[in-house]
Amino acid sequence: MNLLRWLDERVDLKGAKRALLDREVPDRLTWWHTLGSATLAVFVVQIVTGVVLATYYAPSPDHAYDSIRFINGQVASGALLRGIHHWGASAMVVLIVAHMIRVFSVGAYKYPREINWVMGVGLFLLVMGFSFTGYLLPWDQKAYWATAVGTNIAGTTPVLGAGLATLLRGGAELGAATLTRFYAFHVLWLPLSVGMLVLVHLVLVVRQGIAPRPVALEAGAPPSTGSPEYPAYYHKAYAATKRGGVRFWPDILGKDALVALGAVAVIVLLAAAFGAPLEAPADPTDTAYVPRPEWYFLPLYQMLKLVPGSLESLVAFGVPTALIVVLLALPFFDKGSARNLLKRPVAGLGLAVLLGGCGLLIGAAIRGSGPEIPQEVGRPLTSMERAGRALFHSQQCVGCHKILGNGGDQGPDLTEVGLRHSPAWLHSFVEQPSRFHPDSRMPAYGPPALSHEEIEEVARYLTTLRGKAGPEVQPQFVDTFPAIPAHQ
Amino acid sequence: MDSERDGAPSPLRRRVLKWITVLGGFAAACLAGVPSLRAFFSPAFRKPQGVAWVKLGEADQFDLDLPVKVDFVETVTDAWVENRVLRSVWVYTSDGENFVVYNGRCTHLGCGFGFDKDAKLFRCPCHLGVFDLKSGAVLAGPPPRALDRLDTRVQDGILYAAYQDFRVGVPQKVSV
Repeated sequence: MNLLRWLDERVDLKGAKRALLDREVPDRLTWWHTLGSATLAVFVVQIVTGVVLATYYAPSPDHAYDSIRFINGQVASGALLRGIHHWGASAMVVLIVAHMIRVFSVGAYKYPREINWVMGVGLFLLVMGFSFTGYLLPWDQKAYWATAVGTNIAGTTPVLGAGLATLLRGGAELGAATLTRFYAFHVLWLPLSVGMLVLVHLVLVVRQGIAPRPVALEAGAPPSTGSPEYPAYYHKAYAATKRGGVRFWPDILGKDALVALGAVAVIVLLAAAFGAPLEAPADPTDTAYVPRPEWYFLPLYQMLKLVPGSLESLVAFGVPTALIVVLLALPFFDKGSARNLLKRPVAGLGLAVLLGGCGLLIGAAIRGSGPEIPQEVGRPLTSMERAGRALFHSQQCVGCHKILGNGGDQGPDLTEVGLRHSPAWLHSFVEQPSRFHPDSRMPAYGPPALSHEEIEEVARYLTTLRGKAGPEVQPQFVDTFPAIPAHQ
Repeated sequence: MDSERDGAPSPLRRRVLKWITVLGGFAAACLAGVPSLRAFFSPAFRKPQGVAWVKLGEADQFDLDLPVKVDFVETVTDAWVENRVLRSVWVYTSDGENFVVYNGRCTHLGCGFGFDKDAKLFRCPCHLGVFDLKSGAVLAGPPPRALDRLDTRVQDGILYAAYQDFRVGVPQKVSV
């Protein structure tokens, strides 16, 4: 290996190996210690897949959606690649949160790792930024509406709100400028920021060493990490943990690689099985669309549903901000030298409340979602049908009629009404039900209640309701019109 | 470093862990890397676009012994965009029955060539390639092969050509 020797003489490969790979680490590290490197591995996967996706993606409202369809249909492995990037995003959140919980539980944010904890909180926020900017890019319904809501939430920030929302959107409205802006954040600003923070994060891990088991730093420790004798105690106790002769390579790296492989394999399997979702193209006129954020934003989403309007800005802005402030300040006010979570009741309680609360909110959000209004016609609804759907809801039709099990019982179930009746028949019926059934309790929606145009919109919407039949089934109309009285 | 202390992982365990690291890292890289590379190189595996039969005009309207350039607009799918592009071919006939149709791009580097009425030759303005009128053969200049002849057909008095582009700058006539 002459080349290696040649390089070593110039760049000191052996020195680098000694410092990075051969360094001794505390003994009896757990599998939980692999979560940070697993997060890094998935981040690398996100970079690789993201770079290739960016070679095909066009960040403009005219082209974004079509370029995603092109990736799905025309690029070899394109759909799989989107799937990996999509599930990789979820995996990033899961792994980074799990890593933070591990660090929190063993008190590893305490002396001397306060700065690295702050770096980690920064990385967590940047990952959430990746998620938020990433899902606008396909420019489908979910992208558009979730971002509309998200930027409006930013707009509720006290004092700075209006400016912040405009800054995020690149204008007063969500549009072309928002898309290029989010794209630039997603592929330039955020990766550069994360890259730099990760570098500092890792350099600090190497400089300070991996945090040991909590018990190794508790026996005979001064009560506060702020006391003058604590640093001396710490360094002596920490050096003792390294007497096991455990080295980073391969003792730690082997476990890291195994967990990273597992994480990547799960992501690729999920991608192969489920792909990445793509809804109908973004439609700013579709007021009936109910945007639902990705699962990791569901706690905030559900919280907004629970609080009254007057408190909304407080919750939307206040709760996340308070959480971030607490996380950032944590290592600076929590100076007890106990590290095991069982010996830190306040911290344990706080973690339990936070995780339990998020879990309950996510659970409630998933349960409360309800089935979406079916679009079984095999195509996005036309503007007329969407207008009809909006009227259907604003006129409280669901108060009496069921669609797919949702709604009242007074009127007939409308789940499959589109298979039985033509728009013309539905229009006549909605206009004046008593002409068809003299004892119908349904009010007449003819003018002045609704204009003929609006009734037609409702009728067109109703014909799209085909239950679970799907677009292949041809409707069999059973329209019977009442006879026109002879004297008219 | 060489003398291990008590409690250090055994050499066997370390050998296994090293293999796990290498193989696990390789497997993870393949899982994400193979689809990424496939997607990135996807355009290189694209199938050649088929031929399009293009209507060039009424067969008896072409002058004898005087080639004419026929322009037409083709709608092509450019990735996710439908585009309209201007194409041109040169049509030559000596008897009004047998037609020679050349792709309008020079075989050197794809410039549009023109007809020199006095010398009765095709000349490409970019790098001064010269082609024979009747055979399309290279008479002078850098072009690596004769002009690309297209298949023709006369049906109901209308002349059609099977339009197709070929790789330029190479001696072989390879469709793209």
